[in-house]
Amino acid sequence: MSVFDILITYHVAFLQGLRVTLELCLVIWTSGIVFGVMLGVVGANAPRSWGRFIRAMSFAFSAIPTLVVLFWLHYPAQAVFDVVIDPFYTASLTFALVNIFGVGEMVRQAVADFPSQFIIAGRVCGLSQRDIVTKIQLPILFRQLLPGMMTQQVMMLHATLFASLISVEEIFRVAQRINSTIYRPVEIYTALAMFFLAVCLPINLTAAYLKKRYTRDLSER
Amino acid sequence: MLEARHLDFCYAPGKPILKDISLQVDTNGITVLIGPSGCGKTTLLRCMALLESPQSGEIAVDDEVFRYPWPKDAPFTPPWPKLTTVFQQLFLWPHLTLRENILLPVRRQKSGSMNGELDALIEAFDMKEFIDNYPNEASLGQRQRVALARALMLEPRYLLLDEITSALDVEQIAKILSYLKTLRGKHIGIFIITHLLGFARHAADQVVFMASGEIVESGGADILKNPQTERLGQFLSVIAAAS
Repeated sequence: MSVFDILITYHVAFLQGLRVTLELCLVIWTSGIVFGVMLGVVGANAPRSWGRFIRAMSFAFSAIPTLVVLFWLHYPAQAVFDVVIDPFYTASLTFALVNIFGVGEMVRQAVADFPSQFIIAGRVCGLSQRDIVTKIQLPILFRQLLPGMMTQQVMMLHATLFASLISVEEIFRVAQRINSTIYRPVEIYTALAMFFLAVCLPINLTAAYLKKRYTRDLSER
Repeated sequence: MLEARHLDFCYAPGKPILKDISLQVDTNGITVLIGPSGCGKTTLLRCMALLESPQSGEIAVDDEVFRYPWPKDAPFTPPWPKLTTVFQQLFLWPHLTLRENILLPVRRQKSGSMNGELDALIEAFDMKEFIDNYPNEASLGQRQRVALARALMLEPRYLLLDEITSALDVEQIAKILSYLKTLRGKHIGIFIITHLLGFARHAADQVVFMASGEIVESGGADILKNPQTERLGQFLSVIAAAS
């Protein structure tokens, strides 16, 4: 059975797994970018309160392996609170939190470290505060953050594989189940690798293009 | 008239940077500020540009007087860009081309096409070859000309310049300095920090010499020929020996 045959034969299962993976990604990416950006901006403007909180949470999520957080929320936390939550929601919450604080810290740092000289130049040129934000700060921040933000989203896509370990029927788990039935690991995992390549390559290429096209040297050599 | 009255400024208590500085910059003239490195020239320029908050004293921009120490919660609305500054570090916005850097502020201040004025400046400052590049694609000298053009497009009443010719070659320095001389007739007061004593001799209406945070001597360009204080004499002889 070739890779192509496997894809044809099990296309329904693969598509279902793909759907679950993309649903997970949708939740993780949307919440991470929306709430992460909001949290980052708030953190930069209130460095002593929200800023410290974001830094602490971001540190915690980067220090504790995502798998540990996922298992902790899936088993002990649910046992402590005596609740049973659909693994999809547990996985969504875990990865969303990781992404929110990852993006939040990225944005907080970029806003806090924004070179004040660009703002001063805007002020002495008579630009209003609104113009300084919309015409100078946001475009520069957007360009600086975009590549890192896209790389973070690719990493979150990869992290969704862990969801298979708490029985979320995402694409990796589907691949494992098919493999346990027909035992064609080379072909199945090649197909899986092709799927990830197909999704990640355009994102990585877009990130590289945007970095080349829009990011600028901020230093004044 | 742009005027500083009895300015005192320090970054840390007990370490004054500016001591009782009083200075006037006239609209039809060029005031040149000279002095050894670290004497407080740039700090004084930043105070005059209303970018620093002195511990005491006043800055008057025509009829508007800013009295320091500035009350903590009082609104602060400096008359920018009527009073504008070109810094030693040029602060061009990196995401905009050099042309856009010049046009962004002026489009916010004035309506109508600015192409005529811009073309004249492009011509005067020899910027045609690189005006559509981004700042990181331009040399320091090219960026210095653009930063100056950005300020001039705003038609300020007072233009504060901090060592803007430091990275230019002799020909470009000559072009820019002669352009600055032409601004005298346009009622623009120029306050410039420079080490180019030749420019000060030929173009300055007022020369101010600073040392250790104080104005040691000021007067017409003739003080560079006949200094009245020993400190200015020493400074001039050091410069003469170096050149």
